[in-house]
Amino acid sequence: MVTESAHEFETQDLLLNVGPQHPSTHGVFRMVMQVDGEVVRDIIPYIGYLHRGAEKLCETMDYRQGIGFMDRTEYLAAMNAELSYVMAVEKLAELEVPDRAQWIRMILVELNRLASHLMFMGAFGIDVGVFGTPFIYAWREREAIIDLFEEISGDRMMYAYLRPGGLAWDVPTNFVARTREVLTAVRQGIADFDGLLTKNEIFVARTQGIGYISAADAIDFGMSGPSIRASGVPLDVRREEPYLKYDEIKWDVITEQDGDVYARYLCRLGEMHESVKIVEQCLERLQPGAIMPEKMPRMLRTPPGEVYIRTEAPRGEFGVYMVSKGGNRPYRLKVRSACLSNLQALKHMSVGQYVADAIIVLGSIDIVLSEVDR
Amino acid sequence: MTSEESTEATAPTATLDGTIWAEVDRALSGITATAERGVLDVIVHVPPAEIVRALKALKADATLNFDYLRSLTAVDNEDEGIDVVYHLYSTTAKHNLTVKATLPTDNLHIDTATVVWRAANWLERETAEMFGVRFTGHPDPRTLLMPEDMDDTFPLRKDHPLAEIEILQGEGMGYSDEEDQ
Amino acid sequence: MPEGLFGLNPWLDGLIRLLLIVGLMTVVAMGLIYIERKVLGRFHARVGPQRTGPFGLLQSVADALKLIGKEDLRPRNADPWTFEFGPYMVFIPIFLGFVVQPFMAGFNVRVLDLGILYFVAVSSVSIVGWVMAGWGSDNRYAMIGGMRAAAQAISYELPFVLSLLSVSMLTGTLNINQIVEGQAVVPNIVWQPLAFVIFFIAALAELNRPPFDIPVGESEVVGGPFVEYSGIRWSMFFLGEYASLFIMSVLISALFLGGYVWPFGTELGVGFQLVLTVIKAALLIFLIIWVRASVPRLRIDQLMGYAWKILLPLSLAQVLINGFVLTYHLPMPVLTVVGFGGIFLLSWLTERAIRKPRAARASAIALQSEAAS
Repeated sequence: MVTESAHEFETQDLLLNVGPQHPSTHGVFRMVMQVDGEVVRDIIPYIGYLHRGAEKLCETMDYRQGIGFMDRTEYLAAMNAELSYVMAVEKLAELEVPDRAQWIRMILVELNRLASHLMFMGAFGIDVGVFGTPFIYAWREREAIIDLFEEISGDRMMYAYLRPGGLAWDVPTNFVARTREVLTAVRQGIADFDGLLTKNEIFVARTQGIGYISAADAIDFGMSGPSIRASGVPLDVRREEPYLKYDEIKWDVITEQDGDVYARYLCRLGEMHESVKIVEQCLERLQPGAIMPEKMPRMLRTPPGEVYIRTEAPRGEFGVYMVSKGGNRPYRLKVRSACLSNLQALKHMSVGQYVADAIIVLGSIDIVLSEVDR
Repeated sequence: MTSEESTEATAPTATLDGTIWAEVDRALSGITATAERGVLDVIVHVPPAEIVRALKALKADATLNFDYLRSLTAVDNEDEGIDVVYHLYSTTAKHNLTVKATLPTDNLHIDTATVVWRAANWLERETAEMFGVRFTGHPDPRTLLMPEDMDDTFPLRKDHPLAEIEILQGEGMGYSDEEDQ
Repeated sequence: MPEGLFGLNPWLDGLIRLLLIVGLMTVVAMGLIYIERKVLGRFHARVGPQRTGPFGLLQSVADALKLIGKEDLRPRNADPWTFEFGPYMVFIPIFLGFVVQPFMAGFNVRVLDLGILYFVAVSSVSIVGWVMAGWGSDNRYAMIGGMRAAAQAISYELPFVLSLLSVSMLTGTLNINQIVEGQAVVPNIVWQPLAFVIFFIAALAELNRPPFDIPVGESEVVGGPFVEYSGIRWSMFFLGEYASLFIMSVLISALFLGGYVWPFGTELGVGFQLVLTVIKAALLIFLIIWVRASVPRLRIDQLMGYAWKILLPLSLAQVLINGFVLTYHLPMPVLTVVGFGGIFLLSWLTERAIRKPRAARASAIALQSEAAS
């Protein structure tokens, strides 16, 4: 009910501060909402609490040191962040990545996408009000994925595993069997979420019709990822500009037509199914082989040039614009953050809805503040 | 090394065959634009005074239809000025373009692109606070990532030190090109 | 407790009963907090408290000690009277509601002929406490929470009272003990299934339990009216919430599930009656916790719309049908059949109400374009 009644007396709008510390802001994010009763009139976001100067710091790091930085730029989908960076270096240095490394990279990136979407499900459940059940279910499945990552790279969240040219070291010998175990667990987890939330009447009532954005507006705001695909725009970097081996396997781009919060939820749920499919196909095609090109210099230097590489991170288009003037470190590194562009549309999507809905809309864009602020 | 991005030694126009430069040139008629071949796409240089005209023309053109602003940033080329870089994409025609406008160091003003895409809003705010570029006509020129009271320091400029230690020691962070790791 | 059990002096007798209520309710509330954490933990695929004491049984004691030891804070601009008396206004009426609860035959604190009226009247007073807490805290989130709580309580008061009325129509009395004893053969839920469902939903809303916990929406207004409270004052709210959970469960089991009488009749010994009541209350508490683990919370307008547009007409219809059946001496199973029909109608209406939000999109577009211009 977003109807308005004519006020016969003067009312004053309330300025509500959803402060940097708040259970629902998914990080340190502040927004000031101008609220008329319960209806939101304006939202002014304040970001920058997590700004660490990653771009400037990477100018002093060589191409191997910078990988750790990209992990921390988007810690929930660290493999994707690393992938953009190393792909940019590989394009500049014209390195040829061996097939085995490509397939393994794909598996890791898609597993990371699963982990990130599971995190979304958990946090979104909290925002909508089921305080705890989806969150713990999400964590149970994430543990399976993260344990696998720990076996491979030694770290649960900030992997620093991809290298320009391939991987840091080869995966353990039981990798395929372990990944299949993880997939079984994750499939059950996706089914759990589906059963708990998708047809849950109150969940549907809280999320349908909320936070609508049209396809044209979403393109104008530069949104990407599930947030724009839920508005009917089939924009997926993996399909438009295939990288790794995405053009060699069968998978679908998940789009929904409604453009509201529920559609974004369904989009991510569908993407989880697709990720499982992709990983299975990659596992079948994995062959033994090299994971780095034969003649890798000890200190990687790139010729002068610039490149803008984009990959499909779980949140949208994660782009790395790298300018090199020769040498072993970038002259300028710009991280195009999907969450920053998605967050711009927050006001547009929330105006005219209730305070509770604005919180849900923020949750549905699935932001990670470290990517917004870098 | 100059800041030219083309790694080929051949003349720029020869390597632009088969790219969208022909349509871009036609769309940008009346604007002095030069182009070169980048690693992945075409890079078009436009004078800063004409940038909004150029961007509008690129968006409005029927075949090009650059309706999606991927990224907006700047590169500090020290004495040669600051390049404002726009990465454009067309969701219908599926092609990319990089547009650059070079601003001289003594006149860092350029028109805002928010009139073309709303996506430029926050991207320009960030570029402005990091490099000191002033986007004239921007609807909301506050700092985005930097604190509000630090709007006169421009961290991503090359003459801004990385940390206090650089000011004290007067050198880089200790990494040198000759290190073999 | 029969009159004057503890000595002839009625004042002393009253005082002892009061202390018994306070002590018992505190223990019960602490036990319930522990039970909820364990049961909710199991729903969440985790274990709940397990280290403080055997099986974590001393967790509530530890929490109580911590809360008592905290500093008593008051925001500088908070209105002293409303801020400090808010918690009292919340939990005193709840404790008063304990007076008419039928645990055993004849062993209530007091058997009142107007038991139901007394209970409804007294439990409604706690809302004043919520609003006092919300307004007195000098905090926008608290105020929003307090307003939401008042709106919710008022909306759900009507289905609450009407379903209580439909039960007392069957027995013809407002005396809770007589209603319980009238269920010697068949519990009232058989005759009044629709009233049971409506009463259960309205009770969840009166208790501010999920899915109706928007005033205390933890992920938005972070504690609602109680956000500025700490220490003992906050524990009063918390205790009051769990005490009223217990009281409501006992009431529902007494009115609908046969209380201490069904299925073993009034000849059962007093101890067994108490156990029976507690078992039935425990089943209902488990159901309430299960609901908490499963559903998101409703938004305030959805919540009020549900009460006024769906629950209220159906509870009025239930009262009407009761009157019809009782006046024209129709056989009682007619009530059962109509009741189940009413439940189907309720679920169909709920489903339909969820499909309605499609209309919100058009108005959202209109507001967006208006905001962009």
